[in-house]
Amino acid sequence: MGKNKKSFIQGIKDQFSVKAIVLIPIAVGINLVGGMLASNLKLPIFLDMIGTIVSAALAGPWVAALVGLLTNIFLALVSNPVYLPYSVVSVGVALVVGFMMRAGLFKKIWGVVIIWLASTVVSAALAGSVTYFVFGGATGATGSSLLTVTLIAATQEILGSIFASSMIENLIDRAIAFAIAYVILKYIPKRLRSQYSLDGTDDFAEDPDGSPA
Amino acid sequence: MSKQNKIKTKKTSSYIPLDSPIDRMHPMVKIYGVLCLGIGCAAFPFLWLSYAVVAFLFCVAWRAKLLGRFSKFIIAFAVPITCMLLIIQGLYSPKNVTVLADFGFARLGLEGVVYAFKTVGTLLVFLGGFYLMTTTTYPGKLVTAMQDAGLNSKAGYLVLASLNVVPQIQRRIAVIQEAQTARGVEVEGTMSTRFKAFLPIIGPTVMSSLVDVQERGMTLETRGFGVKDVRPTSFVALYLTPGEKAAKKVLVAFLIVCVLFAVFWALRPVLGLGV
Amino acid sequence: MSVDTVIEVKNLSFRYAGERKQALKDLSFTVGRGEFLCIIGPNGAGKSSLCNALVGLIPSYFSGAKKGGVSVLGQDTEGTSVANLASKIGLVFQNPFNQISYTTSTVEEELAYGLCNIGAPRDEMRRRVKEIAETIRVGGLLRKNPLELSGGQIQRVAIGSTLIMRPSILVLDECTTQLDPLGSEEVFDIVKRLNKDGITVVMVDHDMERVARCADRVLVMNDGQLLAIDTPRAIFNGIFQSHGVDMPEYARFGAAMSGAGMYGGPALLTEREAINAGKAAIAV
Repeated sequence: MGKNKKSFIQGIKDQFSVKAIVLIPIAVGINLVGGMLASNLKLPIFLDMIGTIVSAALAGPWVAALVGLLTNIFLALVSNPVYLPYSVVSVGVALVVGFMMRAGLFKKIWGVVIIWLASTVVSAALAGSVTYFVFGGATGATGSSLLTVTLIAATQEILGSIFASSMIENLIDRAIAFAIAYVILKYIPKRLRSQYSLDGTDDFAEDPDGSPA
Repeated sequence: MSKQNKIKTKKTSSYIPLDSPIDRMHPMVKIYGVLCLGIGCAAFPFLWLSYAVVAFLFCVAWRAKLLGRFSKFIIAFAVPITCMLLIIQGLYSPKNVTVLADFGFARLGLEGVVYAFKTVGTLLVFLGGFYLMTTTTYPGKLVTAMQDAGLNSKAGYLVLASLNVVPQIQRRIAVIQEAQTARGVEVEGTMSTRFKAFLPIIGPTVMSSLVDVQERGMTLETRGFGVKDVRPTSFVALYLTPGEKAAKKVLVAFLIVCVLFAVFWALRPVLGLGV
Repeated sequence: MSVDTVIEVKNLSFRYAGERKQALKDLSFTVGRGEFLCIIGPNGAGKSSLCNALVGLIPSYFSGAKKGGVSVLGQDTEGTSVANLASKIGLVFQNPFNQISYTTSTVEEELAYGLCNIGAPRDEMRRRVKEIAETIRVGGLLRKNPLELSGGQIQRVAIGSTLIMRPSILVLDECTTQLDPLGSEEVFDIVKRLNKDGITVVMVDHDMERVARCADRVLVMNDGQLLAIDTPRAIFNGIFQSHGVDMPEYARFGAAMSGAGMYGGPALLTEREAINAGKAAIAV
């Protein structure tokens, strides 16, 4: 048991090589810039987790979790401290995506669909919990707050309404984010990708193509 | 590459450089302030303490020459969330027993209203403190202070590098966006054209960023970043004044008193003490 | 290894993980103390990979299959950390914006960054920063934010950050390619002066005039292989044109004249030599 735990923590530590550490700020940047670009283009979605998905694919779930956490901290710094408690959501989603990618689900389209649905459910559940337990029901800062209030008035049910409204919002957003990340990951040069993998294998290419010298 | 791009970017740090005693204060004291005041208020069973601390934060904001901005921030946060919570908790909380007003379609309950104000008060202490800390502290100084206190140098790198990298990526986006517009990629128009504009802009940004990742890793590697068994030193020195040391002690004492009182209050029925 | 050999490359081969192609194929050569060695060759010839191998980034940072070895000042680069090697051999590469730490707010902090990481005492750092600032001519910029500097200025800071570890060898991988002509000259001037002061320089460069003028020896690469390593005069006698290596203008001029039967001497490398050869041809 103790031995297992040690190797688990060592496994996490191994993911934080210098390469991974340098990737993190840049993935955070991609997240933030994706979000800003989406709002510049007046798209009705956030698209602020492309960096998280890319870092999950390259450097693993724990690196991605840190990317998610830092993204939220920066959102809190720049635009609204309300985003701070929602770090839990980013971290949770990053872990789900990262572990499912490690399991090889990102190689096939149906796998991507599974990741998409799983991450949406997790993020809706976590976001709903934060809204309910930290803010007591609504933040007043996001568009879905109004939706939440309407749903509560209609159904007289607080927790379920919060969950439902963040679910609808997330499904659409995540679908687009995953589609974009999928395309981007397909185009990343092999040399860049293989420099990250711990054992020389690829996490999302169909064929690792590692012929001997 | 060497010419400066004159494209406006949003700033990533909320630091506002103003010469004030709060700005000059050792960052560690401010971190203690946010945590001790916030956790203390959250633990304390009555709602007046949070509002007393918020009043104290207003005084701090005044000393930091930020009273205007701070007031605006607090109002912008407090008003909408208070309204929302009064509706959600005040009208629909299952804990409501005492009815304050009956609107026909719903009843306003005392318990929900108290809960709403307690939540808002605690949030104001946390967020207000956080706001004051970040607006009055230069990020580099903050991280140096945290590293002096034992923060891992990798963690320090992540915070500072993220702050510096984001504006750079924004500039690159602006350049790519211009190039795409020049090549005739529509960035305005219907929803689907705008969607189609997103990928050719974000795609190249991600790719070129990944090349940067590799080279920046090389740089850090050659600069001895994260060398094992070495305690990194810092170029700039930070010292705590006697006043600041005292302030840290007061803040910790505040936290302890609040938590002890909260425990006492919770155990009151067990201890057999009346109200 | 003789006392005057500072770098010894022996049968070095390398293939990046995930790639089929060998980036470096069985390279062997040595570099002497105080030498100015230029590496030339077409894009994708393996020049950058060679630089990365010299400073130890291959194999400790880039994963892949490596054969043979590199030893720097008698120490095998494999099994030695890059940070440890930094006090022997330093690397400066193309993009200046990827050679700053992104964690410092002033140039002096940036210069001291490597020293902070290895835990150097503060007064030692101050002393070395002052000394280096003079060498790279950034005395007036020490309090500025590195992100506000021009490309050429950042590149000088990058050289400074490398030099502050006191290496006796400097590897420069196209470090002036992305700079404007003025910035490029400023950087190159510093490199030349460092070499004069005794630092061994290994430089990848596309500017053939500069290579012809400054190099003690030139190493020609193509397709991961070492084609030749010799004096500029021997290299620029025309035989490497077919390998995608540009000729310096004067050497081309010399070759044209000898093609016309007007010149029969060694390859021309400098303006002076070209003028003299031209005068001699006219006099005949």
